[in-house]
Amino acid sequence: MIAVLGLVVGVVVGLVVRPVVPTVVEPYLPIAVVAALDAVFGGFRAMLDGIFDDKVFVVSFLSNVVVAALIVFLGDKLGVGAQLSTGVVVVLGIRIFSNAAAIRRHVFRA
Amino acid sequence: MSSGREPMTTDQTPAEPGKPTDETLSGPAEGAVDGPEDAGESAEAAQPFTGRQRLVNGLWPPRLTRAQLIVALLLFGLGLGLAIQVRSTNESSVLRGARQEDLVRILDELDNRTERLHEEKQRLEKQQTELENSSDQAEEARKQTAQKERQLAVLAGTVAAQGPGITMKIDASGSAVESDMLLDAVQELRAAGAEAIQIGKVRVIASTYFSDVGGAVEIDGRKVTQPYVIKVIGKPEDLEPALNIPGGVVQSLEKEQATVSIERSEKIVVDALRSAKRPDYARSSSR
Repeated sequence: MIAVLGLVVGVVVGLVVRPVVPTVVEPYLPIAVVAALDAVFGGFRAMLDGIFDDKVFVVSFLSNVVVAALIVFLGDKLGVGAQLSTGVVVVLGIRIFSNAAAIRRHVFRA
Repeated sequence: MSSGREPMTTDQTPAEPGKPTDETLSGPAEGAVDGPEDAGESAEAAQPFTGRQRLVNGLWPPRLTRAQLIVALLLFGLGLGLAIQVRSTNESSVLRGARQEDLVRILDELDNRTERLHEEKQRLEKQQTELENSSDQAEEARKQTAQKERQLAVLAGTVAAQGPGITMKIDASGSAVESDMLLDAVQELRAAGAEAIQIGKVRVIASTYFSDVGGAVEIDGRKVTQPYVIKVIGKPEDLEPALNIPGGVVQSLEKEQATVSIERSEKIVVDALRSAKRPDYARSSSR
């Protein structure tokens, strides 16, 4: 419950405060958000499976974000930033879908 | 996994293991998808709760545990990033989130567009100059046409004219001055460069004709009474000698006992007018 509250508060604060994102971080924000979403879905599914562990979640969340940003950074340096970020988004999207399917099976039993 | 294999390998209990195999197969299959991030193998997996029960337990009642707080913190960060990204994508232009190569491409396109527009501007400016020139030329042509029209109007006698010239008075009372004498005078004046001629109240133009009707002279069908006053616009220094040359108009007239007086003037007004006749058949061959 508190976790859900945290998400809601984060969205509200982001919309109200309008924080200025540093230019250096700006290109990596969208991909990091997608990676974090993937981690959150994974964590949610683990919770439904009953195997949730907060340490694992924290590590996976942070490493997901860092790795995604790193891949994009590397892609930019190699000149294939657009393609590589597309690839990352596709992979993360597939993972989100499979996790969402598992969550659906748990919640709706279907 | 080992518990799942047993029923498969042993095949001795066909009815019962059917269901367990499905469940056990689907169980590990989902577990394999878990990925590294949520593979927290805790002992709770063995508990008999279903996923739905765990969800309800997790949501209500709210517990202030360390795990909840940490997850809330991370989700706060996620929500923040989400909101920022959505807002920046929505509110600002496409350029804000664009990548470097996209920006370069957009810049190139803008440069190309600027170049094209510049070329078009130059083309249009050239066209404008041409049009201005041509309109200047048209204006000039119009002016010339108007001037020519005025000159022709003076010749055709449709407008009054004034300028330097002479006034010639022929007093031929009791003498036989006939139309041919006047015609000679007019032709002599024209040869000397007369530009507008008026005899009495009649303007002399190209189609003017002279006739004798019962001892009087008619010009263009209008009777002209004596003394004949001929107003001529032209260069006086040319007109007067032309009339006075030996054997010329003046001498011929004086031979007929007519008195001729010629008077130079700096301002002669030829104000007898005639309406312009539109020719029925002749058309201008120039455009």
